[in-house]
Amino acid sequence: MTDVRHEPATLAVTRAEVEDFLYHEAALLDEWRLEEWLDLFTPDAVYEIPATDLPGHVESDASRTYALVYEHRTLLEQRVIRLKKPTAHAEFPHSRTRRLLANVRILGAAGDEVMASANFIVFRGRNGRDVFYVGRYEYVLRHAPDGLKIRHRKAVLDQASLDPHGKISIIL
Amino acid sequence: MAIQSPLIIDDRERGLFRVHRSAFTSEEILALEREKIFSKAWLYVGHESELPKPNDFVTRGVGGRPVIFIRDRDGRIRVLLNTCRHRGAEVCRLSSGNSKVFACFYHGWAYDNTGRLVSVPDGDAYSASFDRGQLGLYQPRVESYRDFVFATFSDEAPALVDYLADARYFLDIIADQSASGMEIVAGTHYYSMNANWKLLMENSVDGYHALTVHQTYFEMMMNLGTTPPGIDGQRGIGRGIDLGNGHAVAMNPELGSPIMSPDILAEKQRWRASLVERFGEEHATLIANVTRNMDIFPNFAVVDLGFGIQVRTMFPTAPGHTQIVGWQLVPGDVSDAHRTYRLDNSLTFWGPAGMATPDDVEGLEQCQRGFAVKEVEWSDISRGMGRDMPPIVDELQMRVFWREWNARLTGESYQREGAPHDSSYLGAAT
Repeated sequence: MTDVRHEPATLAVTRAEVEDFLYHEAALLDEWRLEEWLDLFTPDAVYEIPATDLPGHVESDASRTYALVYEHRTLLEQRVIRLKKPTAHAEFPHSRTRRLLANVRILGAAGDEVMASANFIVFRGRNGRDVFYVGRYEYVLRHAPDGLKIRHRKAVLDQASLDPHGKISIIL
Repeated sequence: MAIQSPLIIDDRERGLFRVHRSAFTSEEILALEREKIFSKAWLYVGHESELPKPNDFVTRGVGGRPVIFIRDRDGRIRVLLNTCRHRGAEVCRLSSGNSKVFACFYHGWAYDNTGRLVSVPDGDAYSASFDRGQLGLYQPRVESYRDFVFATFSDEAPALVDYLADARYFLDIIADQSASGMEIVAGTHYYSMNANWKLLMENSVDGYHALTVHQTYFEMMMNLGTTPPGIDGQRGIGRGIDLGNGHAVAMNPELGSPIMSPDILAEKQRWRASLVERFGEEHATLIANVTRNMDIFPNFAVVDLGFGIQVRTMFPTAPGHTQIVGWQLVPGDVSDAHRTYRLDNSLTFWGPAGMATPDDVEGLEQCQRGFAVKEVEWSDISRGMGRDMPPIVDELQMRVFWREWNARLTGESYQREGAPHDSSYLGAAT
């Protein structure tokens, strides 16, 4: 979904504010400050990475597809808890990551929510191997008293296969 | 460079089994595997549920060859090798679709979806010896067992059902789970690892690694209110079984599911009751209360953990690099809520972004890095050797694979190990 939706609601947030928020989120992830990152999510949030052969699927298809990731807040919290342990072997020691965001766009607004997208390249270096994940983020952000929160975070990969990446053991 | 001999040490008297680590690193051995294993055995292609209607197709790699996996216009399942008989271009460049004809874009030769060459532009430029009837898309032998479709590039391979030997009983247990048929779920996991393909075949039937590698997964289960099963596995419950022809299975009492609601529990009980109605108590228990990790030689793993069924293939692009494809199978006749429950649990565990598979792959990749130490020549796979009914934490399942692998590469024959499959194991504690 890349068309701008014209909603009657006034857009209460600027693109600059969304960018600031996304850059802050990226910094938290690159610095492995995962608990602070988790606090950016609403209680009803979803984190999603569709299967690479179904990039265009919609949220309502979640019960019908074998996604790479489809996690409500409870499971997302478990993912974060896991990643902090030295027994999360695929990420111990942690990967070095560097997120590059570009093409941040506000796609529309409805009520207290804003839909935004951004392009990403995420670098991951570990065990002497460097890989790059490329794709597009789709966010639904909600206004909260203490700032923007993430209600839906989808990362759509442009790669058809995780070769040579092998895994997505980081938060993408 | 000569191939190491022997490749395995199978010392029954002393109870020692060793595999030479060049099996994982040698280019010569990889070339032999392509010739003597991938070109000779039955290879999993796909599941009939992926092709619901006539003319439906998907393209994928099978044994290193690009193929069109298709249900032809008459409803018959075929595997067409995706190379034009003219000058070689792939005649189908889509990943999936529905088509009665495949026209090569290069010079326009066209084939119907039974593989027959039906059109050659300016076709009268050829001699009388040019016979279109001999120039259809190449088709390996294809057979299907309970909707699992296999292909072989060898005329000498036995019938599929004979090749499967006792593995077919476990494909039965999978296929029996739905009266309307099992279905591959949309959405495929395409990934890779920097490790030899045989390490993943070992890992797929390995019970010994569960508590160590998947500790964080079991902790997550406890955090979500489910009791993990790991301790039982160490106490000798479960069984590793030689199924013949290099196939093996590890069976275990059912695991819990980290994501489970009271509604789903009721749903599962209803499902189990329907199995009892169809098959009786014993077979229903085998289906619903026992898990199974199965390897079908050479490169197909079927893992049914109760909360989901993962099927995967693996193919080497280099001794230290493997391409992996993973799919999820569900009973076609369960409710949306039940299907969602299975998917929630499955993709949390399996797949390159799950919370279990990446740790497995980390283990395998670390082994591959360790193989650079040429001074250590042998891996030890002796655990439980000689036991009649070894638990899953023993290594019989791996030895079964290696003996068949060695036999195909060297011609050496072998004796099977352990009690053969019977239907007595129902998950009860020993």
